Amino acid sequence: MAENNQVGGPAIGEGNAVYEVSSVSYSYEETGALDDVTFEVKAGESLALLGANGSGKSTLLKMMNALIFPSSGSVRAFGEELSEESLQDEGFSLAFRRRVGFVFQNSDAQLFSPSVWEEIAFGPLHLELEPGEVEERVEATVHILGLEHLRDRPPFHLSSGEKKKVALASVLAISPEVLLLDEPTAGLDPKTAGFLARLTVQLAAAGKTVITATQDLALAKEVAGRAIVLGEDHRTAGDGPAARILGNRELLLSANLIHDHPHSHAGMEHYHPHSHLEEHHHGDEH
Amino acid sequence: MAEAGLSIPEWMRKKPIDAGVSRNGRRRRTSVVERTISGLSEALRSSIFSERIAARPGLLQRIDPRIKILGFLTLLIAIGLIHSPFILLGLYAGTVLLAAMSRISPGYFVKRVWLFIPLFTGVIVLPSLFNIIRPGDPLVTLWDFGRDVHLGPWLLGDSLAVTRQGATGAVIFVLRVAASVSLAVLLTLSTRWPDLLKALRVFHVPRVFVLIISMTYRYIFLLLGLATDMFTARRSRLAGVSTPREDRRFVTGSMGALLGKSQALGEEVYAAMVSRGYSGEPRTLNRFSLAGRDLVFAACVAILAVAVIGGDRIIG
Amino acid sequence: MHIPDGYISPQTAGGLWALMVPVWYTAGYKAKRLLKARQAPLVAIGAAFTFVIMMFNIPVPGGTTGHAIGGTLVAVVLGPWTAVIALTVALVIQALFFGDGGLLALGANCLNIGFAMPVAGYYVYRVFSLGAAPGSARQWLAAGVGAYAGINVAAFLTAVQIGIQGDFFQTAAGAALYSPYGLSQAVPAMMAAHLTLVGFVEAAVTSLVVLYLQRTNPGLLLAAAESKKARAGGQRLKPLAIGLLLMIVFVPLGLLASAPAWGEWGPEEIREELGFIPEGMERFAGLWSGILPDYALPGDGGEPWAGVAAYVFSAILGLGIVSLLTYVIVRLTAGKDVRK
Ligand SMILES: Nc1ncnc2c1ncn2[C@@H]1O[C@H](COP(=O)(O)OP(=O)(O)O)[C@@H](O)[C@H]1O
Ligand SMILES: [Mg+2]
Repeated sequence: MAENNQVGGPAIGEGNAVYEVSSVSYSYEETGALDDVTFEVKAGESLALLGANGSGKSTLLKMMNALIFPSSGSVRAFGEELSEESLQDEGFSLAFRRRVGFVFQNSDAQLFSPSVWEEIAFGPLHLELEPGEVEERVEATVHILGLEHLRDRPPFHLSSGEKKKVALASVLAISPEVLLLDEPTAGLDPKTAGFLARLTVQLAAAGKTVITATQDLALAKEVAGRAIVLGEDHRTAGDGPAARILGNRELLLSANLIHDHPHSHAGMEHYHPHSHLEEHHHGDEH
Repeated sequence: MAEAGLSIPEWMRKKPIDAGVSRNGRRRRTSVVERTISGLSEALRSSIFSERIAARPGLLQRIDPRIKILGFLTLLIAIGLIHSPFILLGLYAGTVLLAAMSRISPGYFVKRVWLFIPLFTGVIVLPSLFNIIRPGDPLVTLWDFGRDVHLGPWLLGDSLAVTRQGATGAVIFVLRVAASVSLAVLLTLSTRWPDLLKALRVFHVPRVFVLIISMTYRYIFLLLGLATDMFTARRSRLAGVSTPREDRRFVTGSMGALLGKSQALGEEVYAAMVSRGYSGEPRTLNRFSLAGRDLVFAACVAILAVAVIGGDRIIG
Repeated sequence: MHIPDGYISPQTAGGLWALMVPVWYTAGYKAKRLLKARQAPLVAIGAAFTFVIMMFNIPVPGGTTGHAIGGTLVAVVLGPWTAVIALTVALVIQALFFGDGGLLALGANCLNIGFAMPVAGYYVYRVFSLGAAPGSARQWLAAGVGAYAGINVAAFLTAVQIGIQGDFFQTAAGAALYSPYGLSQAVPAMMAAHLTLVGFVEAAVTSLVVLYLQRTNPGLLLAAAESKKARAGGQRLKPLAIGLLLMIVFVPLGLLASAPAWGEWGPEEIREELGFIPEGMERFAGLWSGILPDYALPGDGGEPWAGVAAYVFSAILGLGIVSLLTYVIVRLTAGKDVRK
């Protein structure tokens, strides 16, 4: 899994900028979704993108996956600007798609193949891997995610947790360097959510650059070293080490990521959006 | 944004109007909404059920889907060309036997086949039994008019009778339909749909079509789910009766809503495909290989087809 | 309206499959371009949508329920060619994966429901909504009129295909082999139902959905119009037109050649069979001479020519309608090119 597909572009070492997002704005017809957003992502970094519903997280990830392009400003990936034009170039587009994987918020949109096996094979096949290697990768991915019993099932008859795993598998089989995860734990039971969180941590530890959009502060705390907060005005409200951002109660309140009261403490050690996060800090975070 | 100012209005605190539960003896008629829900969920259920049958280790399930489709098409054509009701009956019985050998309960199979189309066919074929619809030799005369009877410009004839030709034709027709539908249902039940889909490539169906078919199949389930949700939500809000006019508005409204949702989803799916490298040229791995039993099956089908057509010509 | 297997002879079914080849060829060509134009999922969704709405029960006056097919509706939203693909896909799935509608009869169903219905419906809609503002009452009314026309054209073709079975395919003794009703029965019965009840259900559903879309999602209705603008017309229709013309010439000939051959093998039986057919066909004698006065149709029912002529006549009748539709398409598309 740790293998990289470095086709085209400069070799990426620890510390180089994978993404440079500068002054990006975007709007869908009349609705604004992003307003003057700027940040950089370094290779190997694990970044949480925090924001309330509608703050523009999904829009930003789609832009970083070159599925939509900024209305103004620019997004550079691996040193190349992402634009309709640059993605028209077959070589660049192939290399980019091999290096960046995107797990959509809506699994139903992501799963369109007739069987789980074919779903996972879709990426490797279309990214022009050899048939033998495609099979090898699919088998390995199926094994890692424990999907053996589902391999011949149609993905759409699965439970939402299983769907999410298949969606993740379909991206991991490509073995991208950069993983864009859009609300990976939303709507999942705690066990599956925990499994995905641990997997994300492992992927980051294996050297992948992981960018997770989420409202789940416990998840952000578990998987990310750094956090960016998108406000409800679609602008960057904060950017810094995850521990510091997650400790900034004012910031989280203003971005509508936590609320004053009432809240419950019972049995929610890991889903506990308050300023005293440090109290249950896990030493193993980085 | 704290919900400090949120207060529940007075009317919401009150008990619902007429909260007492009492029977008034009137039955609610099953509404359009309910009928549609049961139709939708039936489709979902039967497809999941088919999937399970297709996973059983039966005879037909083991045949290569490409050979199976070709074989079944050959048999369908053969069934289409037979004239003898006896041979048709034999072929129909054969499909039930095949079902049993493929671990499909014959009871379920017969019911599923007949409830579908043959029963309907049996009803619509009835008028053709009579001489006033199709001329022929009277078999049972029901009513002798004694003279030629006219209905407007049409000449009805001088008697009302069930004809020999009408009866034979009806039997041939219903048996042919039953045998044909049985084969189609057998194919559907015994083949996992991804396999069926891949087998289409043998017939030079362009990859693009195959891709669209596979995505469509997948979306049918998504839309069935969405539609079921919409109809269920409607039912739960509808304690009493709704007028057909309201129902009509609701049904067409939900069609429109479904169309809107579908379109948004379509764009998202395309993005998901592009994200994983799709650029307009679908690729597939071919994991089929022919085994000895496939060739035996093909040979059996060919021999059977020739035998029944030949036999039919000799009897006929 | 789906024709199940067993209702039509393999010969007819085969002919109609062949007739669909040029249509699919054109549609396939377009599908390739559509995929590049981000429309593949849209086509799939359109197909899934038609499939699902065919399952909706619609209350009709009188207390029963009906079903809509939505062929014209899909054409109004996706444009006629995309609709042809979407409906074909929906029909293939119904036949192949749900055992609904025949496999041999798939060609026939695709011709009637997948091709004639959306194309006829769409162009009638176009004519009636010519110059109508998006969102206007005329737009949804036109969609209803188009849907009414579309489903009736489809019903007529279906009735013709079924009707020729009753008239031309029977045993030597005169028992029907397939659907037992002749053209004179199938066509009026089918059209009576569709011109009155079914057609209005389809029209009402289409109009109401278009009305709903006008209020809530007008962009969807514009999408078809816009993507049409981007398309180059004319040229692409040539292979279709030529293919259809060839089919019109060859399919009836093929049917002629095959029908007696498949029927009975010995010369005696052939004579016996052909000797019967005209008797059953006498009802048509007046109709033929009315429409084809120059063709000397034998009054004596014993001559083989009568059956053959009747056969050609009905084949051409069905095919003529299709060619008329094609002509309309070509004309309308050509007209647009000129403006460009
Ligand atoms: N396809 C779309 N069309 C129109 N507006 C959209 C679309 N997708 C998102 N939006 C709008 O853009 C804003 C940002 O959405 P999104 O990026 O999905 O936010 P998040 O993922 O943070 O919930 C929201 O106001 C949303 O309503
Ligand atoms: Mg989102």
